Amino acid sequence: MKILIVEDEDALLYAIANYLEKDGNVCETASSYEQALYKIDLYEYDLLVLDINLITGSGLDILKLLKKNKKESATIIISANNSLEDKLRGLDLGADDYLTKPFHLAELNSRIKAVLRRGKFGGTERLEFNEISIDTRSRTSYIDEKPMALTRKEYDLLLFFITNKGRVLSKEIIAEHLWGDHSDLANNYDFIYVHINNLRKKMTDAGAKYIKTAYGSGDKFMEG
Amino acid sequence: MTAHTKKIRLLRKTSKTFLWISLVLMVFSTIGLYFYVQNLLQREVEEELRSTEARIKNSISENSTMYQLPPMVEVETVSQLEVVHLKDTLIFDPSQNEIEEFRELTSFSIINNQKYRITVRALIVESEDILIAVVVSYLIVILLVFIFLFYLNKSRTRKLWHPFFKNLEQMKLFSLTSENTISLVDSDILEFSELNTEITTLTDKVRSDYKTLKQFTEDVSHELQTPLAIIQAKVDTIINGEKLNNLQFEQLSSIQNDIHRLKQLNKKLGLLSKIENKQFENVTPCNLNKVLEKRIENLSELYPSEIQLKSKEEVILLMDENLAVVLCENLLSNAIKYALPNTPIEVVLEKGFLTVKNKGARAILKPDQLFHRFYKESDEVKSTVLGLAIVKKICDRYGFKPSYSYDANEHHFKIFFQEN
Repeated sequence: MKILIVEDEDALLYAIANYLEKDGNVCETASSYEQALYKIDLYEYDLLVLDINLITGSGLDILKLLKKNKKESATIIISANNSLEDKLRGLDLGADDYLTKPFHLAELNSRIKAVLRRGKFGGTERLEFNEISIDTRSRTSYIDEKPMALTRKEYDLLLFFITNKGRVLSKEIIAEHLWGDHSDLANNYDFIYVHINNLRKKMTDAGAKYIKTAYGSGDKFMEG
Repeated sequence: MTAHTKKIRLLRKTSKTFLWISLVLMVFSTIGLYFYVQNLLQREVEEELRSTEARIKNSISENSTMYQLPPMVEVETVSQLEVVHLKDTLIFDPSQNEIEEFRELTSFSIINNQKYRITVRALIVESEDILIAVVVSYLIVILLVFIFLFYLNKSRTRKLWHPFFKNLEQMKLFSLTSENTISLVDSDILEFSELNTEITTLTDKVRSDYKTLKQFTEDVSHELQTPLAIIQAKVDTIINGEKLNNLQFEQLSSIQNDIHRLKQLNKKLGLLSKIENKQFENVTPCNLNKVLEKRIENLSELYPSEIQLKSKEEVILLMDENLAVVLCENLLSNAIKYALPNTPIEVVLEKGFLTVKNKGARAILKPDQLFHRFYKESDEVKSTVLGLAIVKKICDRYGFKPSYSYDANEHHFKIFFQEN
């Protein structure tokens, strides 16, 4: 996939690009409003990661221009502003998702994949990883074409693992993905272990041993 | 002045002072007048008695006639001379057929070698009547004058203080959060005019300070997001980059946790200032039962024990739906955070109130500070401690009353809705 990242903080820009490139994406970067306009005018992108508050202009204007020129790029807005109005405005203008800073790169990655899966951008709603396949429309998962009985959270967890395969996911990242703002409610992350262990057990029973423990407390979804 | 002093209205106070002064003046001036007139009348009577006595003496020396007109005049011959004396006496007056009070002058003289005692009397009743008439008419006049002055004074005072009272009403209506500027009545009294200037300066200053502070909170919480995003992205990159040892991973993981806390803090501060800035004004009838059911469903996964909702009737409140969600969520999160492990949480919703109950080992130490920002009971639980401040803010917004009590090892957080 060809992705353009528009973000005026270089450190964040390159961290995002770096993370996404590991999945085989081609990432281009634009660190200013003008640069972004120049690039979307010249090239076609499958997806734009767009910061709203750029120093010399608004990301929303870039989005407007993009829609005006009938570019088929999917767009994910990243913004420091978490007001509902901004979010609705972004989505109204045709953005596909809206992520408030700060966010985990794994979370961004999983949102990007979700957007790209929605058929419109030539993606497929079926996700495959060796013998595991997931139908994201019906929210069901299969091992060797046999459906797995997963709870809602286990399904979300499996999807999150597969979209971030090969990455180390700490308990914090997983908790935030599954419960968002409420992830700090429990005094410890025991409740995550419960879900991870259940999922691991169900998969292992079906012969799929992909969830590995990394560094004692992190998790990693990988082959071998 | 302490707060415990009994407060009295300005107009009442001035009227009261006026009344007291009037009363004292009236009493003393009446007493003074009484004695003055009495003295005057007495001297008049004495003078009259002496003049009658002189006439009688004259008449005796000329024709030796002893006038008798009891009880007014009595002349007798005596063998011994005594000292002249003047006194009040009670004598039976045959003409009136009753005992009357007389002023009596008894003098002794030697006229034509004969010793006489001359007694002259005058009725006191007459002079007493005059005295009473004078004092009473004085009292009536002065009372009328006082009544007149009292009302005149009252209406004058009222007029004089009118700008003050008007401006006081204006100041009571003053609210930091409202945009309405304070409009003061001008006055030709210098002090009032000065007071107005001072009030205007003060309110403008307070308002601009408040605005700056609000803006500051909002700006800070906004500006912190980007550096936090960078830190988080970098931590994520490090975790997925070079090979780490377990300790390094633990530490990075803990940094992620702290970033999350900062993020939550920021979000809540932002929310608080948004409520203050009235950014949630989409008031609709809001079914609190539905909101609660949804929130409980969401949160029950995070809480190992049961969260029960007990409600006999539907409660519909006129408020912004987002705020209703935030209110319920914060009350529930608070209960989840502080509940004893493996104890159920009970939510009771009725027409007038909502109560969230959770088991706790002991009562909160400072319940009056519970709804303040950053109140922390202990360091046991890491939280952003803004949840209850947000609850309070929302309650203030809609005139709800939040309260806390501790009963039978249970914390009760109760919200009384406005009567309507």
